[in-house]
Amino acid sequence: MSRRALDKNQQATVDSAQVAVQSRGYWATVLMRLGQDKVTLVCGAVLLTIILSAVFADAIALVDPYKANMLKRLKPIGTPGFPLGGDEMGRDMLTRLLYGGRLSLFMGVTPVVLALGIGGLLGLVAGFMGGRVNMLIMRVMDVFYAFPSVLLAVAISGALGAGVGNAIVSMTLVFIPPLTRVTESVTTQIRNLDYVEAARASGAGNLIIIRVHVLSNVLGPVFIYATSLISVSIILASGLSFLGLGTEPPEPEWGLMLNTLRQSIYVNPWVAALPGAMIFFTSITFNLLSDGVRSAMDVRL
Amino acid sequence: MNSICKRLRHLPRIIAATAAVAVVAGSLTVSNSARAGGTLRVGMTAADIPLSWGQPDQGFEGFRFMGLMLYDALINWDMSSADKASGLIPGLAENWEVNPNDKTKWTFKLRQGAKFHDGSEFDADAVLWNFDRLFDKNAPQYSARMASLVNFRIPSLVYDAGSNTKGWKKIDKYTVEFTTKAPDSFFPYQICYILLSSPAQFDKTGKDWNKFALNPSGTGPWKLVKIVPRERAEFVPFKEHWDASRQPKLDKVITIPIPDPNARTAALLSGQVDWIEAPAPDAIPKLKERGMVISSNLYPHIWSWHLSRVEGSPWNDVRVRKAANLAIDRAGVKALLGGYAIEAKGHVSPADPWFGTPSFELKYDPAAAKKLMKEAGYGPGNPLQVKIMISASGSGQMLPLPMNEYIQQNLKEIGIDVEFEVMEWQSLLDRWRSGAQSKQAQGAHGINVSYTTQDPYSSFTRFLRCDLHAPSGVNWGYHCNKEIDELLKNASLAFDSKERDRWIAKLHTIEVDQALFIWVVHDVAPRGMTTKVKGFVQARNWFQSLTPVHME
Amino acid sequence: MFAYLIRRVLYVIPISFGVTVLVFALVHMAPGDPLSAVVPPDAPEEMVQELRKAYGFDKPLPIQYATWLSRVLIGDLGVSVARGRKVTDELTIAVPNTFILAVGGTLLGFTLGAFFGGVAGYFQGRWIDKLATAIAITGISVPHYWLGIVLVIIFSVEMNVLPSFGMGPGGSTAWQWNAENIKHLVLPLITLSVIPMGIITRTVRATVAEILNQEFVQALHAKGLLTYQVLLHVVKNAAPTTLAVMGLQLGYLLGGSILVETVFQWPGTGSLLNSAIFERDLPLLQGTILILAMFFVLLNLLVDIVQSAIDPRMVR
Repeated sequence: MSRRALDKNQQATVDSAQVAVQSRGYWATVLMRLGQDKVTLVCGAVLLTIILSAVFADAIALVDPYKANMLKRLKPIGTPGFPLGGDEMGRDMLTRLLYGGRLSLFMGVTPVVLALGIGGLLGLVAGFMGGRVNMLIMRVMDVFYAFPSVLLAVAISGALGAGVGNAIVSMTLVFIPPLTRVTESVTTQIRNLDYVEAARASGAGNLIIIRVHVLSNVLGPVFIYATSLISVSIILASGLSFLGLGTEPPEPEWGLMLNTLRQSIYVNPWVAALPGAMIFFTSITFNLLSDGVRSAMDVRL
Repeated sequence: MNSICKRLRHLPRIIAATAAVAVVAGSLTVSNSARAGGTLRVGMTAADIPLSWGQPDQGFEGFRFMGLMLYDALINWDMSSADKASGLIPGLAENWEVNPNDKTKWTFKLRQGAKFHDGSEFDADAVLWNFDRLFDKNAPQYSARMASLVNFRIPSLVYDAGSNTKGWKKIDKYTVEFTTKAPDSFFPYQICYILLSSPAQFDKTGKDWNKFALNPSGTGPWKLVKIVPRERAEFVPFKEHWDASRQPKLDKVITIPIPDPNARTAALLSGQVDWIEAPAPDAIPKLKERGMVISSNLYPHIWSWHLSRVEGSPWNDVRVRKAANLAIDRAGVKALLGGYAIEAKGHVSPADPWFGTPSFELKYDPAAAKKLMKEAGYGPGNPLQVKIMISASGSGQMLPLPMNEYIQQNLKEIGIDVEFEVMEWQSLLDRWRSGAQSKQAQGAHGINVSYTTQDPYSSFTRFLRCDLHAPSGVNWGYHCNKEIDELLKNASLAFDSKERDRWIAKLHTIEVDQALFIWVVHDVAPRGMTTKVKGFVQARNWFQSLTPVHME
Repeated sequence: MFAYLIRRVLYVIPISFGVTVLVFALVHMAPGDPLSAVVPPDAPEEMVQELRKAYGFDKPLPIQYATWLSRVLIGDLGVSVARGRKVTDELTIAVPNTFILAVGGTLLGFTLGAFFGGVAGYFQGRWIDKLATAIAITGISVPHYWLGIVLVIIFSVEMNVLPSFGMGPGGSTAWQWNAENIKHLVLPLITLSVIPMGIITRTVRATVAEILNQEFVQALHAKGLLTYQVLLHVVKNAAPTTLAVMGLQLGYLLGGSILVETVFQWPGTGSLLNSAIFERDLPLLQGTILILAMFFVLLNLLVDIVQSAIDPRMVR
């Protein structure tokens, strides 16, 4: 079958899936390794803090993120009532960052989750059914794969227009092909394993085989691969907002805030840099976390 | 001894190498600054180099940094002074007058001896050719694109597509007669937008406007010598320009499109350009701190909310309109813009001959505003809800988001709750064109588009005349007032400019007394430039002239 | 093997066809009038209709697609609605400019990445490894366009040592490989190379570590083979995957340079895309996306061929 090979991440996922099927104490080992990896644990904690603070922004934040106060424009960090300063419309930066986390994380996670669902389903079907169905699905994916991801995201967003919903649609479409591909690879490998063949031979129905054998072994590794896409998704979402194609004002979202605070970089550079720092920290913790989990799962290292 | 001789042998090579290094090092240290005294590099807000074939695109900036540099119209704008209103002066026409017996006919006496950049002579044939370029589909020089760019600015000119009846006629080599659909004293203000390209050059470049655009020829004070699409255009003086008072002093002008305000500011601060249009107001203190000069002046611009007068609109009550106007803290808006704005007292400024004598004064008086709202039946328990369409950016829109949010705060104080629908500039213009009753308007009560007040039609007629609502025109709010229509008619029939100004002043007086718009501020077109840029006179005009500028 | 190559090359044809369909569909699903962005607001309706006819926007979509495709096949990508210039002319200027950035960014990213990754893989587990890995992860976690803005503030505005925008004092058509022009390349190149550097570091590190951990390599080492021979072995084995990743990165940079080009106003395909989107210039948008996608398709083909030539096991 003439298709491009999987990249390193994807290959590792497929390999670990194979092993997962075959050994029972595998997950126990994984958990133990994770427990010993301090860096990953710390990242997990930081990420949890970021996520919780975004989710509970209402409880933590003291003011309305939309309430503008022209007299407080671009106030420096540490102004009374504005612990992290004021943005270009006089809104409290701390509040905006907390609420912004919601939208940024939402736009980072949702496309990956949706793509996981759709792409995962497509990959499962393609891998399990094989033959013509497989060819049809994978060929269509190949056409999408012919576009570099940023280009595809920008093109779809450009076509649909700005807006959170449109950006999510466009990023989901960008992430479906890689997830389909990985899921298909993993499913094909597992389907061809001896004991699955045996189950089929013994007359077990397809659905049961899928549920009992394939699903549980495919989901784990694919899920981990998906998490490595989250940081890409966050940065892509912020990039779209930066270009004017994602979130629209006055919604708080880190990428959009980076864009609207650009003009203020001469008046208050520290405040203007805050959203960028948030994107960076969130992205790096996601990356380190997914790295850590993957290396705990990797039997070769 | 031998070793020293050996080393000396290499000396010439070493000297040559050192010299070479010195030369290279010297050339490396010459930064990308201008040739001493001669070259001005301008950073424009346009996203691309404006079209150079005659009628420019990119709005008024296209006229400013391309159209009026390469070309003249029959009537030009007076850009020589910063202290008085900028009016119309002879361009390629030395004088013009309406025929007293048939006021739909205008006789223009053309300038003799004016030359195009390619050397050909300007005469009446050139004028006719240029109007054919915009209307006559059978003419080889017809351009639909050019027509779409400018024809809407001369609505009065006669042209019938069916019979190919033209409102322009040659009387003799240097006289042209124009015919308008109805007597219209505003006609000169329309003619000034038609820029005249060289017919001879069009023939020379193979009758292809795209080729002409690369090698344009007009009668203007500048010649285009190089154009790199999307990046730069280079101009040099046209030594044989007919107007001695507008001989360029610079050796060269380079215009560069830099649409992002932040990038423009960085470009000026990093020394890559000498002059930028519209710096971000937040960056102005930094520019000043670095020794840049900010040039600004009043000009015919107004930032306002255009109100809907459709049946059922809350703005139909004059008390509500007046209250809104009294609720706005214009000084605060001005402070938002770093002081670079002028508080509005009407649609035009009091310094304008069209201002008139309104009795209603635009000022910040929330108490009076609340009283009016109470009279109109609103109050703290019964606020008025309105929806206004705004954009996040756009030419002339200044800082729409902060300004609108500030006004929203002001209006909330007096019991008007404003909801904004924010959209992209082009979408806003689409909605503006389709009118307040269209589906796209979705029940919005107002729209925030900034306007030019440079000529009477653009300032008043197109918004106020009863019949000029969508799709025939941009009376977005469906305003209709018979008295105002009458005054507009009288003004358009007053061929003496002082008389015309009087009629318009009466019109404006009523307009302000009835608070037909919510007026906020006039822009002052701040521009940033280095101290090396000398001689610039910022006229009270959307257009400017670079001819008196020179570099120190 | 040969059969595989033939099949792989032929496969480009249906993919390209699929790409044209996708590009056309994408561009035309945009709501709004394709002309509204370039026609002045006051223009009367008949004028707009006339322009619409001139550009063929009044015909049904499948016909527009067929017309467009037939012209593309003979090399005519249409005329830009906003500027009246031929799309091919615009791309002829823009593509080389983006190439300069993309190739430079990949090379820089590759050089740094190979260095950091090699060092990290060799010294697995030690602090050098952690440092190099940290740099790599930073590279892929930082929003690079924001990094670009910060670099401009530091080096252009404050220190005045590097220019803040554009491709050179004479514009892109006057590009020469001299000091003046290279100064314009520095900041965009650094900004663009950050992500490839991160990805290549991680790839190289993983590959190097994997190879070094193979038992027979350790045996070789135990036998006392010179370190440099081991290194040679590592390089030979790491090369295929790394080259593949590098090829893909080049493709991503070619297609994904829009953010960096926007920040630095680099006159490449990214800037074209940006203005085409906001001016709703459909022919330009279609043409640019198509060309970029085709480059990526061909690049993928090249990478596949090279990979399968080096490592026949990679044939699927």
